[in-house]
Amino acid sequence: MIRTQGLTKRYGRTLAVDDLTLTVTPGVVTGFLGPNGSGKSTTMRMMVGLDVPDAGSATVNGSPYAELRWPLREVGALLDAKAFHPGRTARNHLRWLAETNDIDVRRVDEVLDLVGLTSVAHRRAGKFSLGMGQRLGVASALLGDPGVLLFDEPVNGLDPEGIRWIRHLLRGLAAEGRTVLVSSHLISEMALTAQRLVVIGRGSLIAETSVEEFTASSQGDTVRVLTPTPQRFVKALSEAGARPSVGEDGAITVHAMRAADIGELAARLSVTVHELTPVRASLEDAFMALTADAVDFRSAPGGVEAHVPVPVPAR
Amino acid sequence: MTYALTLEQTRAPEPRTQAGLTQAVRAEWRKLVSLRSTVWALLITLAGTVLVSYLSAHGARHGRQPAGFYRGFDPTNTALAGLALGSLVIGIFGVLSMTGEYGSGTIRSSLAAVPRRRVFFAAKVIVLGTCALVVGMVMSFVSFYVGQAVLSGGAPTATLSDPGVLRVLLESGAFLALLALFGVGLGAMIRHSAGAIATFVGCTLLLPLLLHEVPGNVVRFSPESIFANSVADVVPTNGAVSSTEGFILMAGYTVLALAVGGVLLVRRDA
Repeated sequence: MIRTQGLTKRYGRTLAVDDLTLTVTPGVVTGFLGPNGSGKSTTMRMMVGLDVPDAGSATVNGSPYAELRWPLREVGALLDAKAFHPGRTARNHLRWLAETNDIDVRRVDEVLDLVGLTSVAHRRAGKFSLGMGQRLGVASALLGDPGVLLFDEPVNGLDPEGIRWIRHLLRGLAAEGRTVLVSSHLISEMALTAQRLVVIGRGSLIAETSVEEFTASSQGDTVRVLTPTPQRFVKALSEAGARPSVGEDGAITVHAMRAADIGELAARLSVTVHELTPVRASLEDAFMALTADAVDFRSAPGGVEAHVPVPVPAR
Repeated sequence: MTYALTLEQTRAPEPRTQAGLTQAVRAEWRKLVSLRSTVWALLITLAGTVLVSYLSAHGARHGRQPAGFYRGFDPTNTALAGLALGSLVIGIFGVLSMTGEYGSGTIRSSLAAVPRRRVFFAAKVIVLGTCALVVGMVMSFVSFYVGQAVLSGGAPTATLSDPGVLRVLLESGAFLALLALFGVGLGAMIRHSAGAIATFVGCTLLLPLLLHEVPGNVVRFSPESIFANSVADVVPTNGAVSSTEGFILMAGYTVLALAVGGVLLVRRDA
């Protein structure tokens, strides 16, 4: 169980984490979602005591991290793909880590095997690929067999096989009753891995929900309409309370009106309709919609993202 | 009530122990010996130090010396000439033990594993200090014996039982350990290898050159002057501080550097 209470962190004049209160429960994978620079890493760093909050607190199993008796046996964290010395072998890196918390040396070989690094255990970690470094980070996190696990962007640098592996690993760890918090800016990845979602933007909480609820609650559902007389129908749709927009291909994208109602309206006005397609919002659309106000590094207008019709949710 | 009591009784006993200094020291030791580069650097430095000492003694023994060269000659100090090189490298060794953590990102693993930062820093100081003390003593004694072997037969020599010689050798070895710890303190303060090494070299090599021009013989208080003219001399050079004063002064610099570095390490985000 991880709790944060009014967690706040400031870097100079930038508010990196803003009064964040959240609970991460055991037994499920919790996805920690947010655009780049939204404060995910900073929040996780405060959870393990690397950064000191300016206000508020973070506790693991009820204690601040620094007060845990055997930190590595309670919490495992992968916060950085390169938190090891390049000159040390993978096995030696794990061995000194094990020493800090009186972890049996047999466990070192166990986790090396678990992450598939046994054959390169005696190679210096500096020669590792990003993916192998990531696996060594996972091994470090699992070393103390902890009940709470934090993973910051664990799929970075992994190949498709590695991504599948980590997905199964995370779900398996959660199924064993552990608390698993995984940050990502890749929504599609979270849709496959996580059961619960914590979404933040600009350091503050936007949503704390399940994956299903998150997609369902989004107002991103749209209807695509093709008609030979778009101008006339757009006017009628607007008057009826919908929010239509005409795309470059001449198709109308309608927000805030169901497909059935659009059909009724067209019939009443005798508008010829060639196509009427409900488009379900993806998790990605829902995410974009929620964080539209909270993106620090937005693409310039005209960029790829600017073409995606982003409805602003009424909040 | 009864129920609560039962629960209390059946709960598994809390382990009384917790991760502490013992574990942290063991981990720091393993960190140190598991880096091939550190082990090699120390061995090469040891060899280099002894070589310079050998050359110094060789020059004193076989060089064409002016008349009266050996009047006031200090065979012990002559044999310890290599320690000037050793002092530089052992200090950098201390610096790198901290800045290497920051440069490689290991510090995040270290502080996640040992979140009580005082404990982490204390373990670092204990392991580095002990290691530097052993290496320093070896440098000092091996240089001495090699030097005397070279000098014997044509120049005055010293033995361990001569007055002041054992004091010089022990203090010189310990002085090297202090320099390493001074480096640890600078490393914790500055965190970047290049900056911290430059600062260390500035304090040891550059400072005497600058202070030389300052009136009042202030230069005698700089670490390298203390080492060369007070600690490593059987008879302190004219105008230098006494060896005891010098040693205490260097210990003071070291404690100061460690205190500032330690406080910054505890306070700053990693």
